[in-house]
Amino acid sequence: MFGKVLVANRGEIAVRLIRALREKGIRSVAVYSDADRASLAVSLADEAAYLGPAPASESYLRIDRLLKAAQDHRAEAIHPGYGFLSENAEFAEACAKAGIVFIGPSAEAIRKMGSKTAARQIAISAGAPVVPGTQEKIQSLEQARLTARDLGYPVLLKAAAGGGGKGMRRVDREEDLSAALRDASSEALRAFASNEVYLEKKMIEPRHIEIQVLGDHYGNLIHLGERECSIQRRHQKVVEECPSPVMLQHPDLRERMGEAALRIARTAGYTNAGTMEFLVDRDLNFYFLEMNTRLQVEHPVTELVTSIDLVAWQLQIAAGERLMLAQQDIAWRGSAIECRIYAEDPENQFLPSPGRIAHLREPSGPGIRLDSGVYAGWEVPLEYDPLLAKLAAWAPTRDEAARRLARALAEYEIGGIRTNLSFFRQILADADFRAGRLSTEFLDGRSFVREALGAEEEAAAAIALAMAASASEPMAPGGQAKSAWLAAGLESLLR
Amino acid sequence: MTRETRTGGRAGRIQIEGSRFRYQREDGGGAEGEFSIASLEPGCQSVLLNRRAYRIAKGPRGEMLVNGRPLAMEIFDPRELSLRKYGPAGRGRQEISAPMPGKVVRVLVQPGDSVEAGQGLVVVEAMKMQNEMKSPAAGRVAEVRTRAGATVAAGETLIVVG
Repeated sequence: MFGKVLVANRGEIAVRLIRALREKGIRSVAVYSDADRASLAVSLADEAAYLGPAPASESYLRIDRLLKAAQDHRAEAIHPGYGFLSENAEFAEACAKAGIVFIGPSAEAIRKMGSKTAARQIAISAGAPVVPGTQEKIQSLEQARLTARDLGYPVLLKAAAGGGGKGMRRVDREEDLSAALRDASSEALRAFASNEVYLEKKMIEPRHIEIQVLGDHYGNLIHLGERECSIQRRHQKVVEECPSPVMLQHPDLRERMGEAALRIARTAGYTNAGTMEFLVDRDLNFYFLEMNTRLQVEHPVTELVTSIDLVAWQLQIAAGERLMLAQQDIAWRGSAIECRIYAEDPENQFLPSPGRIAHLREPSGPGIRLDSGVYAGWEVPLEYDPLLAKLAAWAPTRDEAARRLARALAEYEIGGIRTNLSFFRQILADADFRAGRLSTEFLDGRSFVREALGAEEEAAAAIALAMAASASEPMAPGGQAKSAWLAAGLESLLR
Repeated sequence: MTRETRTGGRAGRIQIEGSRFRYQREDGGGAEGEFSIASLEPGCQSVLLNRRAYRIAKGPRGEMLVNGRPLAMEIFDPRELSLRKYGPAGRGRQEISAPMPGKVVRVLVQPGDSVEAGQGLVVVEAMKMQNEMKSPAAGRVAEVRTRAGATVAAGETLIVVG
């Protein structure tokens, strides 16, 4: 096993990886940009290396600086996390050249499966069904026009190197194609340093269900079942769960999708952790969409239900150990649901809301797992993805898991910035969600309004504000006797 | 102690005498009775109203959280002529302003252009997401106060549609 590993990421996933390393007795090296010197990850790691200025292109995306940091700190391996360079074959190759283990699949597998267009070819040759679309990147607007006409609108433009909904646009009419192509390629270029995009037929009300796979260097390959990530906003997953509600009714679907995922992984010669994404239609036909050649954001729900630590296995496999799990060892127990807590404003088109976290109260208690990258006083930078934390709940049944997650969401308070906590409280209360009626169009046409408060709740707020205002005045009028602590606490409400 | 409150567009009044309170809203709603207040940590208070518990914490962007749910409330001292205000400022401007700190990717209009309601005016990128700012109404572009590549602060006016 490794003695020291560099974590080439930031935020909650850097914290997750540092925790896994410490549990295995491996020293961790965090990296940071100018915006992240005071990050939770840096303070939790054993060592830390400065990368550069805040923009990712000058820090977290700089292969040369990451390798130099790894060499300076004598780290034997690098874990890339998700996003940034995690699906960058050149980075994996550069690591190998520098004699550092890249914790993930081989550069060749990333190249094959990381490009969505190449991955489709492999899926087809492995006999897996795929969503109708282009096999190659779009070369010109004219080519896009002709292809979209063939497929029939609506179509989706997607970044070939991408993920997370970035560089993706739904196009309903030909006259919108030109602007969508321009925006998708420029967003793709910024996010993934490649402006390649391709076209795909947009399916109606599909479920997004993905299969987690794990393979070692000795030909052992297993799947860990599915995660349903149908609830998406702007093609970005926001709620994920395991098992999928459809699997509860159709357990054979897990087996069939699992086998398809394993066939694809075997054809690609895939090792380490990876995820095959599928769309599932109303008749339970499934279509391979793409592969993520890395650890997924939503991996905790699989860990909660299978009791298998995916990051620990990533480390062991990368260190050359054998996968000591056979397919029949994998069992799915209970139900887990996760939501992604973002610094964004659900009342204002979900615009990002960077800034200082003025107040933080985190949920805990039975069945709750919180993977957070923030603390009270942390300044959420505007340069990066606004994910603050992932809140997951496990319980013996889906209904209990949903109740538990709703309970934890009611405990969770984040002040100073806007977050999507109230949005999740409303999703958890939704009758369709509770019944497991999900599709990638779940959020379309659903409006999320400010939660209403009663007169007594307003009165409580008015009392706190009035007491705070009077505490901050030099000559406080007669009220309750105030301690210095109460006065200071009250005044802090107004700052 | 008596203070005027404002929540959304609605006025209210809070009166506090010792451990008794009375809250009245202009729409006739309200509450009254006994209260006590305790400071939990900076930015967070526990208020007991008639033995029911409420957590009042610092909320998003100057608002408050009441049991975790956001509330925008301002409070005024009616005795003060200068209308000293506590609490968050209201939202809503006529100009098209940056809703968050970010970078202007593209300016899609020029001064003098006539625009439709919903037409894109400027594309701002923050946290790796590009957002097109749209015109709230039909009209003519009176001013363009930014350019592609500019870094903008939250609330900074980018375009004025007259």
